[in-house]
Amino acid sequence: MQKNGPFALAFHTLIVLFVLAPLIVVCLVAFTPQNTLSLPWDGLSLRWFAAVFHHPDFVASFWNSARLALFSATISTMLAVPSALAITRYSFRGRDALNALFLSPLIIPHLVIGVAFLRLFSFIGATGSFGWLVAAHVMVIMPYALRLILAALNGMDLSAEMAARTLGAGEWTVFRRITFPMLLPGISGGWLLAFINSFDELTMSIFVTAPSTVTLPVRMYMYASESIDPMMAAVSTLMIALTGVTMIILDRLFGLDQLLVGKG
Amino acid sequence: MGFLQLEQVSKLYGEFAAVRDFDLEIERGEFISLLGPSGCGKTTTLQMIAGLVTPTNGRITLDGRDITREKPARRGLGVVFQSYALFPHMTVAQNVAFGLEMRKVAKAERDRQVAEILSLVKLTSLADRYPREMSGGQRQRVAIARALVIKPPVLLLDEPLSNLDAKLREEMQFELRRIQRVVGITTIMVTHDQAEALSISDRVVVMEGGKITQVDHPYSLYEHPKNNFISSFVGKSNFLAARAMNEATGVSLRVDNTDLKIPATGSYPGGELCLSVRPEKIRLTDPAGAMLHGPVSSRYFLGNHWLLSVSTPAGEISVAVANLGAPPPSEGDITGLTWNIEECRVLAAEQESALQS
Ligand SMILES: Nc1ncnc2c1ncn2[C@@H]1O[C@H](COP(=O)(O)OP(=O)(O)O)[C@@H](O)[C@H]1O
Ligand SMILES: [Mg+2]
Repeated sequence: MQKNGPFALAFHTLIVLFVLAPLIVVCLVAFTPQNTLSLPWDGLSLRWFAAVFHHPDFVASFWNSARLALFSATISTMLAVPSALAITRYSFRGRDALNALFLSPLIIPHLVIGVAFLRLFSFIGATGSFGWLVAAHVMVIMPYALRLILAALNGMDLSAEMAARTLGAGEWTVFRRITFPMLLPGISGGWLLAFINSFDELTMSIFVTAPSTVTLPVRMYMYASESIDPMMAAVSTLMIALTGVTMIILDRLFGLDQLLVGKG
Repeated sequence: MGFLQLEQVSKLYGEFAAVRDFDLEIERGEFISLLGPSGCGKTTTLQMIAGLVTPTNGRITLDGRDITREKPARRGLGVVFQSYALFPHMTVAQNVAFGLEMRKVAKAERDRQVAEILSLVKLTSLADRYPREMSGGQRQRVAIARALVIKPPVLLLDEPLSNLDAKLREEMQFELRRIQRVVGITTIMVTHDQAEALSISDRVVVMEGGKITQVDHPYSLYEHPKNNFISSFVGKSNFLAARAMNEATGVSLRVDNTDLKIPATGSYPGGELCLSVRPEKIRLTDPAGAMLHGPVSSRYFLGNHWLLSVSTPAGEISVAVANLGAPPPSEGDITGLTWNIEECRVLAAEQESALQS
């Protein structure tokens, strides 16, 4: 492998710093003992974190978001696996159209989807329903799961499945014992990516949540439009930490994936 | 009737025939190689036997039973894929046990059979490794063990040695033959390497463009190739343009103004012919009275032999000279060439240029 020169290294460091700077500032502000958004020059304090945990609306919204992301990520993964198999393994009429349809929520602005769902929900009387909220999220996050699973399927060596067949395995056994385990890194990655996308989806959720189903990003948005205090920084820090941990897991899984598919 | 029989088997992809009218009869216990250049339909043929590709036409029977449309799982043949196709998420022992599991063999018996086959392929100590932790040669032996453990009636190998480096390849070639002898299993191996096919098979099936061109024992194939393609693909050969002259006692050929008397082994159509002589059959002699002569244009030392190229009026001729201590003439020296008339083959001149390119 080629080593980076000192120039390239400095350049990359600057870019990384530029990207991370706002996040670092927010994380620092979260530890301030002051009442205003300021850097913690005069000592660190966890008071704003405590404030978050004592704010019942935020706690409720956090659980709403977590539950919503859990359900919608799981459902979209369960839909994405058979869709990806159909798209990669079979040729049928309308396959390309189906593929485009599945990926279209990536292209359509969430604002548009949000407005559309708002009209739909009030029309069918589904406003405030958690189930319909899940359905809306499934629609916008499934493309992420699908993309990762499609990539994993395309990179998979089909001869392992053929080998299993010659050894006496039926179609279902081949899927359960060979295809699924070999796809597992891709499937888990797809699930995590879907989870993150659902957890911090704001634009569409603003339109489709009701007071009882307000998600954390929507709650933060509502709170921030009225007042700005370091509690927002504390919530943000918590979200950054959560996303960071998920990303690390994602990377781990894909490192493993590389091992299995690439050098295997 | 053969143990495994293919009758007029063809596979069409649209208009394109990957395999055409494939007829072959294989005896129980035979080791057969399918030899041919890349893209000639070897893998397709093997996969039709395994049941992974459905033939467009024809019939395949195994021990008298028609298996043409049978599912691969029901045929129960052992297949070793070119990529080995090991299950990456299973250990060596789990990989090998998979086929037995599918046959609902009890755990204790399964373990016993896995241990037995792993010792046959000399992998006992690596039973708990994952495929990614093993070398190419070891993975290949896992693939063979996994295919053999189900005691298949036929073992199908798709270029099993092509992913190994040269030295390991030679070793594994004979290892493969040893395992095949011990188990006594009917084996079909696909390869594009003629040395491999000649050294370990009972019979070699040469394929070209989806069709069989010759089926023979390795020695006869090498000594009596049916056409230019085979004599250039199986080993190396010199091709000399020749003309047939009518004569009652045999066929006399005119090569570069010299008349060569060839014992009649068949009737040759009048006109353009082609004479095929293997480099190792040609001897260096004094230029005077030699069949052909000319200057040596290049000389390479290859350890056990020298490879010379001599520019003669009949074209560039390759000559392999065994290394017997004295170096052969060097570049620029004029040398004569001769060979026993019985040791060259007469072929029709057709498609020579197309095939040699
Ligand atoms: N699924 C397929 N669809 C279309 N053409 C194919 C397919 N499989 C193989 N072929 C073609 O059939 C020919 C023979 O292929 P193959 O049997 O794999 O050759 P070999 O193993 O001798 O290299 C090739 O020209 C290949 O492109
Ligand atoms: Mg092939």
